Amino acid sequence: MNNNNKANMSAFALKLLKNIPLLLFILVFVVFGLITPVFFEWDNIENILTSSSYIGIVAIGMTLVLLTGGIDLSVGSLMFLSASSAGLLIRNFGFPIWLAIVSAIVIGLLVGAFHAFCINKLKLVPFIVTLSTLVALKGLTLMLTKSVAVEWPSAITGMASRRLLGFIPLPVFIFIVIIILVQLMLKSTPLGRHIYAVGYNSEVAAKAGIDHIKIIAVVYILCSVLAAIGGIISVTQLGIVNAGYGEGEEFKAIAAAVLGGTSLSGGVGSVFPGVVIGTLLIQVVQAGLVYLQVDIYMQPIITAGIILLAILLDSLRTMLEKRLERRNITKSCE
Amino acid sequence: MKRALSIVMLVVMFAVLVTACAPKPEPAAAPAPEATPAAAEQPAAEKKLKIAFAYQDLETEFWVAGHKAIVETLKAKGIEVIEFNANEDANKQLEQVNDAIAQKVDGIIIIPQDGESAVAIGEACNSAGIPFGVFNRPPSNKDAKALVAVADNVTISAKAMEHMALEARKVFEKTGKKVKPLVMVGDLGDPNAVGRYQGFKNVYEKNKDIFTEYIEVPTKWDSNTALANLKSAMAANKDVGLLFCGSDFLYPVIKSVLEPLGKWQKIGDPNHIIMGAVDGDMTAGKLMDEGYVDATAVQDLYYEAELILTGMLEAIEKGEKTPEKWMDDPGFALTQANMGEMKMRMWGNKLRQEKGEL
Repeated sequence: MNNNNKANMSAFALKLLKNIPLLLFILVFVVFGLITPVFFEWDNIENILTSSSYIGIVAIGMTLVLLTGGIDLSVGSLMFLSASSAGLLIRNFGFPIWLAIVSAIVIGLLVGAFHAFCINKLKLVPFIVTLSTLVALKGLTLMLTKSVAVEWPSAITGMASRRLLGFIPLPVFIFIVIIILVQLMLKSTPLGRHIYAVGYNSEVAAKAGIDHIKIIAVVYILCSVLAAIGGIISVTQLGIVNAGYGEGEEFKAIAAAVLGGTSLSGGVGSVFPGVVIGTLLIQVVQAGLVYLQVDIYMQPIITAGIILLAILLDSLRTMLEKRLERRNITKSCE
Repeated sequence: MKRALSIVMLVVMFAVLVTACAPKPEPAAAPAPEATPAAAEQPAAEKKLKIAFAYQDLETEFWVAGHKAIVETLKAKGIEVIEFNANEDANKQLEQVNDAIAQKVDGIIIIPQDGESAVAIGEACNSAGIPFGVFNRPPSNKDAKALVAVADNVTISAKAMEHMALEARKVFEKTGKKVKPLVMVGDLGDPNAVGRYQGFKNVYEKNKDIFTEYIEVPTKWDSNTALANLKSAMAANKDVGLLFCGSDFLYPVIKSVLEPLGKWQKIGDPNHIIMGAVDGDMTAGKLMDEGYVDATAVQDLYYEAELILTGMLEAIEKGEKTPEKWMDDPGFALTQANMGEMKMRMWGNKLRQEKGEL
C-alpha cells in the first residue's frame, strides 16, 4: 500500500470516527427497530424527542460551560429550585403563569451570575463553587417547600401535550429553538469563537485580547438559565415537583455532552449534531431497553456499556487525530 | 468595582426573590439548653433523655409524616431530639451517627439510605453500647442488633394486588381476553422497592390464567425516569389493563402519561386501567375517593412510629445496650370494596382530614 492510500485510509477512518456518536445513534436505533418494529412508529419517536427535550436543554448549557474547560454541578438543584419557586409563586402568591416562569428564569440568571462572580472575582474553582451551590440550592428548595411536593396548575401540564404546526410537541419545539440559537451563537458570532478559544487555551485567548472574564460570566449565566428552562419544561410534563426532583440530572447532562463529543478539558464540542445526538442516544437506549423488556437488573449495565463504548470510540478518534497531526508535521518538516 | 457591586446586588435580589417564595415561618422551637455542670449534677431521675434521629431525607409525604410522628411524639414526652438529615448520603449518615455517639445520646433511631448502610450504622451503635432503632427501611441482614419497625412490603403489596387481580378476573370473564399487567418498580437498591415488586409477582404467579406476561418499568424512584419509561412502555404495549406502582408518589407521572392516551379513566369506564400502588398518601386517598384507583397497599405509618418509639424507650428504661427486636407492621390494603370501614385508617386520609379536605 503506498503512502497516498494509507493517508486516504486514515482520513476515511478519521471521518468515520468523527461521526461516531451519530453512527452509534443510528445503529442503536435501527437495531432496536429491527427487533421490535413498533420502535419505528411516530408515537415512540415523539416520546423519545419529548423525553429528551428537557435534559437536552440542560445539556446544551452544560456544553457551553464544558467548552470553556469549566463544569457546573448545580444544574439539577437549580432545576429543582426554579421549578419549585415558580410553582410556589403561582400557588401561594397567585402569580400569573408567565410571570412565575419569568421569575424562575431570573432565578437561573442570578445563580449563574453568582457562579461567575465566585469564579471570576473570588478565583474559586468551578467544581467547588457549583458543588457548593448543588448542596445549597437543594437545601434552600427543601426549606421553601418543607419537602412537600409542589403541584403545578393543570394549565401548565396541558402545555406539554400542545402541538405546534400540528405535530411538534411544545417541549420539542422549545428544544429545537434553543438548539438553533445556541448553534448560531457558537458558529456564527465572535462570542461563540471566543468561547472555543478560551476553552482551547485561555492564556493564548487572553493574549489575543479576548475578555476571558466576560466569556466565563456569559457561559455560566447561560448554563443556569438553560437549567431553569429545562426544569420548567420537565414540569410541564410531570405536573408536580417532589423533593427528589432534579437529582442526578447534572450527570445526565454531562453524559449527554461528553457522548456528543464535548471534551471535558474544553475547546472541543458542538451543540448540533454533538450534544443533540448524545442526548437522543441516551434516551433511545433507555426506551429501547423498556421496549425489549430487558431484565431490569441488566438495563443499567447495558446503558453504561453503550456509553462507555461511545466514549472509548471518541477517545480513539482523538488519538488518531493526534497521530495524523504528528504525521503531517513530520511530512512538512521533510 | 462597579461590576462586582452589581453582581452583589443581583445576589441580594435573588435572595429576596427566593425568600418571597417561602411559606410563613413557623415560630422556631426553643433551642435545647446546653448541658451545664449544674445540669450534670441533677439526679439521674430528672435527667432529660436525649435521642438522635437520623433520617436519609424527607423526600416524600410518607417520610415527612413519619418524621413528624416520631419527633413530635418524643418531644411531647419531654425527650430531647437531635436531628440529622443525611441528604441521601449513606456515608454522611454514618458520620452523623458517630457524631451522635460522641454526644453520648441515650438512643439512636435512623431511617437509613439503604439496607447495607443500616447494618454498618447498627454495628457502630452496638460497639458504643447505644440502643439502635431502624424505622421503615430494614437492614439487609441481622449482623447488627437492632429494634426494627418495618412494614411487610411483600404482604401489603400482595394484599392490594389481590384485589386488583379480582378486578382483572372480572374483566377476563366478561371479555374472554387476558389482562396485560404493568409494574412500575422502584430503586432496586431499596429493599422496600424489591419487596413490593415481589408482592406483585407473587399474586401474578397465582393468577397467570388471567394475565399475559407482565411489563416491567424501572423508575429508580425518579419522576423523570418513570415518565420516560412509562411513556415507552405504554407506546409499546397499548393494551395494558392493570398497572401496579411501587409508590403513590408517582401517581402524577402516571396521570400525565395515561391522560393523553385517554386511559386515565374512572372505574367503570371501558378504558379504565385497574390501578394500585403502595404507601397510602394523600394523593392516593384522593384518587381512591374520585374512583381512579382500585387499591392502595397501606403502610401503617403511625403504628410503625409507635412500635419503634415504644421499643426504644423500653430498652432505655431497662438499661439494655443492644436490644434486638423485629417488629412487623402488617399493614393493610385499602380497596374500593372496604373503603367504608378502612378509609380513615390510611395515614394519607388522616392527613387530609387534618387539612380539612375530608
